[in-house]
Amino acid sequence: MLEVNNLNAGYGIVPVLEDISLTAKSGEILLIGGENGAGKSTLMRAVAGFNKPTAGEVLLEGKPLQGMAPEAIAKEGLRLVFDGHRVFPELSVFDNLRMGAAARRGDREGFDKAVEEIYSVFPILKERHRQYARDLSGGQQQMLALGQAFVAQPKVLLCDEPSMGLAQALLPPILAFLRNWAETGTAVVIVEQHLQVTAPYADRAMIIERGKVRFSCPAAELDTRLKEMETAEADA
Amino acid sequence: MMAISETADVGSRNMDEKAKPRFSSDLPQVWIGMAFIAVTGFVPSLLGNSYWVHTFQLVNIYIAAAIFQNFLFVDAGQKSFGQGVILGLGAYVTAIFFGLHDYPFVMAAGLGLGAAALGGLLFALPALRVQYFHLGFVTLSAAIVFPQLLMSLDRWTNGINGISVQMEALHHETLFGLTPLTIIVALYPMLALWVHYFIRRSQLGRQMRVAAVSPEGARSLGIKPGYMRFTAFVIAAIGTGICGVLYLPTVSFVSPQGFNVELSFVFFFAVVVGGRGQMLGPIIGIWIVFILPNIALAQFVEYRLLIYGFLTLLTVILFPDGVVGSIERWRSKRGVTGRGEQAFRVDSFLDRLKGGKPVEPTDEIVVEVRGGTKKFGEVVAVDNADLKVRKGEIHGLIGANGSGKTSLLNVLSGLSRLNSGSFVINGREATRMAADRIANMGIGRTFQTPRIYPQFSLWDNLKVGIDARTGEPNDDIVRLAEALEKEFREDSAALLSHGQRRLVEVMRTVLKEASIILFDEPAAGLSQSERANFSKLVRFLSRQLGKTIILVEHDLDLVWGIADTITVMEQGRIVASGTPDTVAKDPAVQHMFVGGRRA
Amino acid sequence: MLLEITVIAVRGIAIGSIFAMIAMSFNIVHGATGILNFAQGNMLVLGGFAAFFLANQVELGWWLLMLPVAGLLVAALVALQGWVTLLPLRSSVEQDSWIISTVSVSVILGAAVLITQGPFAYTVESVVPSFRILGVRTPGAYALAIGCMIFWYIAMRLFLKKTFIGLAISALSQDFDAARAAGLPVRRLQIIAFAISGLMVGTAGFLVAPVISISSDAGLRYILNGFVAAVVGGIGSNLGTLIGGPLVGVVGMLTAYKIGGAYQDLASLLLLIAILMLRPQGLFGRSSARRV
Repeated sequence: MLEVNNLNAGYGIVPVLEDISLTAKSGEILLIGGENGAGKSTLMRAVAGFNKPTAGEVLLEGKPLQGMAPEAIAKEGLRLVFDGHRVFPELSVFDNLRMGAAARRGDREGFDKAVEEIYSVFPILKERHRQYARDLSGGQQQMLALGQAFVAQPKVLLCDEPSMGLAQALLPPILAFLRNWAETGTAVVIVEQHLQVTAPYADRAMIIERGKVRFSCPAAELDTRLKEMETAEADA
Repeated sequence: MMAISETADVGSRNMDEKAKPRFSSDLPQVWIGMAFIAVTGFVPSLLGNSYWVHTFQLVNIYIAAAIFQNFLFVDAGQKSFGQGVILGLGAYVTAIFFGLHDYPFVMAAGLGLGAAALGGLLFALPALRVQYFHLGFVTLSAAIVFPQLLMSLDRWTNGINGISVQMEALHHETLFGLTPLTIIVALYPMLALWVHYFIRRSQLGRQMRVAAVSPEGARSLGIKPGYMRFTAFVIAAIGTGICGVLYLPTVSFVSPQGFNVELSFVFFFAVVVGGRGQMLGPIIGIWIVFILPNIALAQFVEYRLLIYGFLTLLTVILFPDGVVGSIERWRSKRGVTGRGEQAFRVDSFLDRLKGGKPVEPTDEIVVEVRGGTKKFGEVVAVDNADLKVRKGEIHGLIGANGSGKTSLLNVLSGLSRLNSGSFVINGREATRMAADRIANMGIGRTFQTPRIYPQFSLWDNLKVGIDARTGEPNDDIVRLAEALEKEFREDSAALLSHGQRRLVEVMRTVLKEASIILFDEPAAGLSQSERANFSKLVRFLSRQLGKTIILVEHDLDLVWGIADTITVMEQGRIVASGTPDTVAKDPAVQHMFVGGRRA
Repeated sequence: MLLEITVIAVRGIAIGSIFAMIAMSFNIVHGATGILNFAQGNMLVLGGFAAFFLANQVELGWWLLMLPVAGLLVAALVALQGWVTLLPLRSSVEQDSWIISTVSVSVILGAAVLITQGPFAYTVESVVPSFRILGVRTPGAYALAIGCMIFWYIAMRLFLKKTFIGLAISALSQDFDAARAAGLPVRRLQIIAFAISGLMVGTAGFLVAPVISISSDAGLRYILNGFVAAVVGGIGSNLGTLIGGPLVGVVGMLTAYKIGGAYQDLASLLLLIAILMLRPQGLFGRSSARRV
């Protein structure tokens, strides 16, 4: 579904990513881990069009997206959800969801159905659908941010650190939601620090270090691979 | 001593000084400008064409005013739409005292100049508080109100009738048909060019431009941005006020219609069309904006405002650098060549500084934070933090995104203030000190995005560090500075890679002789080998030069490799602090490592 | 005494309503783009000219028909201006460029009016008859001005809260990057914001044509007072303009009565400086004007 080949990107002249390649298949969750500052968020932003890659390509179903504006990429069906549970604070919960439909306007029925689904997964959003998004808790805002992406029914979902600023306990229901979402045929990429919690929900995992891919493996093997890496470094 | 100078010595590169193209074309532009002004100022008199004599007298006065507008706009970063008001104040007040009250001209001119300077002060006042479009509106409003006031204060200004003056002495033809006035109004814009040029090359000028581009960068170098703006407005007002004084004998008449908004627009548009920041810009700009519609297209004189407007709009959209700026861009693209990886290295230069024996950290505390708390609205960025930094040590500050490291660093450098708690630097209470005062106490810092000023040559980028010194440099620093100047005077800083920019910032703090250096995520964006070199450099600063280092960094390998003490922050609180070994074993820190490394 | 107070209050609030509408038209563009359009005052005057050419001394029906026409004409012009202004911003982050380009458009419009219509002030006959408040004869256009301000305030509120495009424009001003990530067509929304601001001042200029000065140099005066109204209320706050506009209007009227008509703009300028020095974020503003 999504194919990233030899991507190089950064901020202004600051290089961050070096030759990153990855693939995300529909129906699967790819987990991307790495320490702070390794370039995970930059990778998400570069794929979604917020940073112009200096080299490499981003292909969505074979169509090159690199160099396109973020809003155009969203229309193509690649949706980024930022870290830090960013929603439109001065819009109501329901209106935030409406904004999500920007990438699929004209499909009223599909929108209503998607909203119903979101409400049934996160009933709290239905309960508070008239309130301003700024009055939600951080966890609820993260649900809303994901819900906003969900109503667009993207082919690929990039989710940058869904746990940021949330209590750990809130992560599992969010991850379960992403898991179910992926199983409907969406390719999901999650960037996360809390690898132990996230790995069971993912299919494959990839570790980024200093802007480069350190290794990738099936998610089930992540723990073993990290231990190996640790031993290798202790020896070095 | 570690082998920091593993690469070739500077001398061996043998760069031919003469082969290097000039980085800045300011000086040649000043000379060309002098020639242009001289030709247009003097030739019409030699030919005896009184129409052109008179026209160019006025044009040259306007050029001088546009030169000061250029200075204010670009060097000080202040967008004023009201420079016509300043000129008008100079002209009108002189006319009132000289023409209506028969004061001697010199005294009247002095009063006029005083009025203009006062006008500049009034513009500067809101500039201390607000910036950006607010200032544009305030000055634009002043330009709208000024002619209205001239009309309605007719008791003093003679209202719509204006004031006529006769100054025969200045109009007497002397040698080659030149009158004293012709000579004065041709020499004045030449003088203005030189004034602009020398201010730009001076410490004041450099600091002004730094403050215009990056106020927080300026404050960390001990510069007060407000003071810089204030000074710039006053300098521009005096320069423009003199234009006003000269306007009087040239036109022999002042009236409110002469000083409406249009005049201010002419100066502003001339700078934009001619080329913002270029020495020649105001000259070419006034020629295009003022002469073209008024003289060359004299039959369409009522179209002149339309022409100003369209010229400016087209310039902004099609070639935003203006006429001279576009030529200059082409020149520098052609001339300046990057030196790639070798463009800026510090190792061989720092070798000049290494003293005798290595220095070890002492137990003296140079930075101490006690119960520091910093809030942004509801968010507690720094939560009751205690921190002690020993003299000469490398103190690593680590933690997740948003854990409060950079907030703490900003507090220490004075860019933001603690809500409660206090901190002491070098034994002095610094909690409520402004950033520039803290900088002057010997603190240097780098930013996440290196503060590089592309309009400066590489050497001038370093020199702002010397400008920020509080004491006289020692011999080592003088020698270092000389070597750097020789090497980098004509180099462009815009072409440097990110890693090299980082080194420029570090070198700047060395030249400033900061005793405490704060690094804000210095390794972000550096390559593997750059990181290794950077580690060596930090080590060198600490162990050879005895500097205290506070290092906020995500690269844990780097921190563990060089730090003497490591402090860990989490959600604003300090959760662990100690030697690298003890901190690595601290359970509170484990989750920061992917896969529980270093356990 | 009472008479004088009534006159000052009624005229001040009515003229202030015009300033408030300019301020509201600033707000929508500023929210969506970060740009303050220096040519907005000229656009109001163009609305007045539309009234002069399309609907002077006409039947009520024709006048009502021409009102949306005038509004749409000005809206189209402002949309075009917005497109041009946003052109250089596409490639660079140069922030001076929009100040320069909107100022130059303001100059161009003023000059175009001067060339085609001469330096005269045009008068438009009012369709709405004058009436009496507390014994003071008041031109009907004053009531229209206040009504128009209230209409636009409510219309903007509904538009920004209820319609998809309005919500999207608010979203744009709240979190630009998140709006792009959601796939909102940013550039198109910005142009729409420009067009709406034009519709606002175009209709306002048309309605209040009988009581404003319709001349080549009037635009700058309206931009000044409109900006002061926006700053007093707090840039971005439409509610603030309802206070800021009338306040500027009343201060101007008071000055005109007590000191002289020529000092009205000076009073506005002093008010502007006072607000910027004392409370730069305005009465209702949240974002600070300070950028030091």
